[in-house]
Amino acid sequence: MSEAAMELVDVRKTIGKKEIIKGLSFTIQKGEVFGFIGPNGAGKTTTIRMMVGLMKLTDGDVLIQGNSIKSNYKEAVREVGAIVENPEMYPFMTGEQNLAHYARMIPGITKDRIKEVVEIVGLEKAMKEKVGRYSLGMRQRLGIAQALLHKPSILILDEPTNGLDPAGIREIRRYIRKLAEENNVAVIISSHLLSEIELMCDRIGIIKNGELVATQQVHENVATDNLMQVKIEVSPSEKAIEILKTEFKIQAALEGANLLFQLEKEKIPEVINVFVKHDISVYQVSITKASLEDKFFDLIGENTIE
Amino acid sequence: MSNFLKLISNELKKIYVVKSTWIMYIVLAVIIVGTGILNNTVGDIQNSYESDSWRTQLEEENANLTQEMEDETYLETYNSMVIEQNNYYLENDIQPSGYGAWHFIMENKMLLSLVSLLTIIVAAGIIANEFRWGTIKLLLIRPISRTKILISKYVSVLLFALFTLLFVLIFSGITGAILFGIEGMNPYTLLEKNGSLEYVSVIGEIISGYGYQLIILLMMATFAFMISSVFRNSALAIGLAIFLMFVGNQIVFFFAERSWAKYILFANTDLSQYADGNTPFIEGMTLGFSITMLLIYYIVFMLLAWIFFTKRDVAGN
Ligand SMILES: Nc1ncnc2c1ncn2[C@@H]1O[C@H](COP(=O)(O)OP(=O)(O)OP(=O)(O)O)[C@@H](O)[C@H]1O
Ligand SMILES: [Mg+2]
Repeated sequence: MSEAAMELVDVRKTIGKKEIIKGLSFTIQKGEVFGFIGPNGAGKTTTIRMMVGLMKLTDGDVLIQGNSIKSNYKEAVREVGAIVENPEMYPFMTGEQNLAHYARMIPGITKDRIKEVVEIVGLEKAMKEKVGRYSLGMRQRLGIAQALLHKPSILILDEPTNGLDPAGIREIRRYIRKLAEENNVAVIISSHLLSEIELMCDRIGIIKNGELVATQQVHENVATDNLMQVKIEVSPSEKAIEILKTEFKIQAALEGANLLFQLEKEKIPEVINVFVKHDISVYQVSITKASLEDKFFDLIGENTIE
Repeated sequence: MSNFLKLISNELKKIYVVKSTWIMYIVLAVIIVGTGILNNTVGDIQNSYESDSWRTQLEEENANLTQEMEDETYLETYNSMVIEQNNYYLENDIQPSGYGAWHFIMENKMLLSLVSLLTIIVAAGIIANEFRWGTIKLLLIRPISRTKILISKYVSVLLFALFTLLFVLIFSGITGAILFGIEGMNPYTLLEKNGSLEYVSVIGEIISGYGYQLIILLMMATFAFMISSVFRNSALAIGLAIFLMFVGNQIVFFFAERSWAKYILFANTDLSQYADGNTPFIEGMTLGFSITMLLIYYIVFMLLAWIFFTKRDVAGN
């Protein structure tokens, strides 16, 4: 599991005088699903374009199964299936003709394989229809089918959930998990919505203004699954905040009459107990599950358009 | 099928799957049939001459033409030309081959400017459209070098030109055969060259006539292909190439006095200027010079197309 499928080494991109990607370094393991999260304009698509050789790197290198995209392009890109930005296909050709077109570009793709990927993305019924008439979600699925044709060991999907309905997202999630777990495929999924892809990722990386600001193992969060977002109405609130800080080492935020903080579920009665002992009136307590989104909201925030 | 052939088959499929390509062919077919029918009804063309009576046939024809000329003076130039040709046959005791499919094909060489036009449209779109559709991204992220993809596209343009040319030849042949019959395996005809009539092979004329035009086609299609690669914009490539094709000669005439005029592409594209009897556009130009100039232009076009296609980033617009 710890073999690197793709490695970014201090990748930089400058267009004109503007530095868009400022030294990205990270590694994606085989069989790992990596979520590439960032607000609009953070540089996700630009990074992906460099990963697949559409854009040249200003500096640094991308290694795919050990092959440099710069010096060993064909060997490197053979391992990659991708959709970059929108899943654009030839609108005047049918889904079938589009897939056949891409199948002809790589040796060894059989008719059966084409059928297989069509089934995977659930587009059997639309194969004879012109892509120009496809809905966005259908094109997204065809894009994924196209990326899977040659059984790549690295799958790169730029905002694949864009345009998919909830059922579609669930299907893709299931399929991506299966690819990673059974076929040991490394998957990179970009999105600006953490919540949409959180459930399918093993790890997420957060990019902002061309820099990787954090990476996070998702299952760590799952392990502390009982970490809750707690909202509690108390008075006097200043005293309560003080107590939380000294007794529980929790930094709580004040929102109106409510205190907001994160806490394991088991500790909640204890906190209430302590409050009562200190003569603090507790009016109501509500708890919600803390999501990664909550955790990273501050980090992601908004991209400052430079 | 080898990898490269598959790339070419992909490109050809993309050209021929769209309706507008077939509309182009239908337009060509209509024009060919139209000129054929026009020739058949308006022009009083003698289709064939019998071996025992062709002399009297020609004399009758001359008499009719002279009569016609007196009635309708506007026919004078045309009719006297035909009479002159008929007299040539009579004087040299040659039985004319008559008008038929071969002659029809020969006369349709003007359709090659239309074939050039269609080829320019295809060449202009073959790269630029991939950018417009956004499909260039999926096309390039394959284990195939950009150079190879570029060559497959260029070869496909040439194949399109070849198929369209063959279509014009064969369809003209069939239409001509149906409307006028076939005037033998290797007919000859009288053409005016250097102010006098010459008795020449029709097939030879077809080859040279179409051949000269093909050089222009090749240069303009390559030009459009280059613009398509450099600017990634098919409208610009079509517009520029067609505009230059039409005003090319005027440009040369306009600058004819300048010493550098002979280096203009269009001073060199029409190699028929060196055919016997013709005088080159600009004094002192030779066939060798023009071929060298064409080669230089061709290499520059290809090099530009290649550099821009292989070296430039495929970024969002
Ligand atoms: N061709 C270009 N020339 C100049 N700047 C560009 C170019 N392409 C992208 N950029 C800039 O690079 C930055 C990153 O763009 P990118 O498309 O990678 O963002 P993204 O993370 O994919 O955003 P989104 O979520 O909107 O898709 C943006 O600020 C954008 O303005
Ligand atoms: Mg993007």
